[in-house]
Amino acid sequence: MALKFHADDLVENPTPRVPVTLCLDTSGSMMGEKVRELVKGVNLFYDAIDEDDDAHDSAEVSIVEFNSSASLIQDFASIENLKRIESIDASGGTALGEGVNLALDTLEQRKMIYSNAGVLYYQPWLVLMTDGQPNGRPEELKRAIDRVTEMVAQKKLTVFPIGIGADADMTVLARFSPNRDPLRLRGLSFKEFFEWLSKSVSRVSRSTPGDEVKLDLNGLRGWAEL
Amino acid sequence: MFNVFHHYTRGRGHELDGTPCQDRTQYLSCNGVQAICLADGAGSASQAELGAQAVVEEGCALLVERFSELLASADAERTRIELLDRLLSKLRQLATQHRIAPDDLASTFLGVAVAGDHFLGVHIGDGVIGYLKDDELRVVSAPRNSEFVNQTTFLTSQNAAQSMRLFRGSLDGVGGFILMSDGAGESLFDARSGQFAPACSKIIATVGAGVPRRNGNFKFRTQLQKLIDLQVRSATKDDCSIAVLGRTVP
Repeated sequence: MALKFHADDLVENPTPRVPVTLCLDTSGSMMGEKVRELVKGVNLFYDAIDEDDDAHDSAEVSIVEFNSSASLIQDFASIENLKRIESIDASGGTALGEGVNLALDTLEQRKMIYSNAGVLYYQPWLVLMTDGQPNGRPEELKRAIDRVTEMVAQKKLTVFPIGIGADADMTVLARFSPNRDPLRLRGLSFKEFFEWLSKSVSRVSRSTPGDEVKLDLNGLRGWAEL
Repeated sequence: MFNVFHHYTRGRGHELDGTPCQDRTQYLSCNGVQAICLADGAGSASQAELGAQAVVEEGCALLVERFSELLASADAERTRIELLDRLLSKLRQLATQHRIAPDDLASTFLGVAVAGDHFLGVHIGDGVIGYLKDDELRVVSAPRNSEFVNQTTFLTSQNAAQSMRLFRGSLDGVGGFILMSDGAGESLFDARSGQFAPACSKIIATVGAGVPRRNGNFKFRTQLQKLIDLQVRSATKDDCSIAVLGRTVP
């Protein structure tokens, strides 16, 4: 007699997740074309993830904005549950430290949810984008830098600090990224960055134990100043 | 006495990017000892398939040759170091031959041997080992990933000896064993509940109940290979491998 596996003879494990947090500067200096291009870039990122077979099932994205304070404007969600952004208001100061700390707290909570549900996950990603100098509470900034650098050293976080325009404080951004220089966007090349980001998320979601995920940073040189 | 089935198949991901299957399985029977081994080559290792093949061959030889000694060993720490030394020595030899680093041959390792009334097993890295005991399929050694799904321990990792799991026991009430790579585990092992899929008991029972044809082959081999190549493989992009010992029906 022929041996057969029926549907209930096999199990279906949930797809391992790639948590990505976008930590975005929405201070007054981002007002106008910068924030409009940023919104377009984020929506393009969503579209690219949606169209990618691998990233579609694994990527989960959250957005933290920081201006005079920090807030979670999009909690972690899979691409099917992510609403496209119509606009973001830009105003106030640049509480960068507060923003990063909230982003890290959100990531930790998400990892806890995965663990409790038995869902496997990849190393989380934090994308930090700012166009100015931080002017939030200094102790929050220091705490954020310490947390990020410690997690990066322990290989528990991949961080991409991105400076927008000539006024971005690249020295502060560099303190968040001991292993990789921060990038400065050439003009308002959000589109190119987010295209690269979606491809990189896809590459990670295809990786298996022992794979070294090469993030093709050379591909960024065409549009960013390293 | 146990019947045996082992099989590995190239994953869809490797087929798409043109890389070879990096999973390997092997069986050896000698002097009343039966051993099955499975290895899943590291994605980052340039010659992972060579390393995986070498360690399943060496692992089977090792388990068969030293079965009685390992079964009687009272010093688990020393045993871990000795087992790892022998497998690493094989990898170093192969690395020298091919002028590459041992890390280029990295893989996980799973092995089970049975003889007389006893069994023993070894496990490093991910993948899972289970056994059918008193008609219930139980986990002997669960997958061990780090916090992140794409990180695990390989034979060449610095912490390999410490993370090696050794187990042994009586074959009383044992109907068989199943070893699988993480790729096969995607449809044969529920990571949330830590339970095997019902298909695993069926596979062990089928292997155990197999009667050899005149040419010595078993009908179940072709059937099981097809099921792995089609149904189990379609649930993942990773390579898939399983190795099974099924106790023969008296």
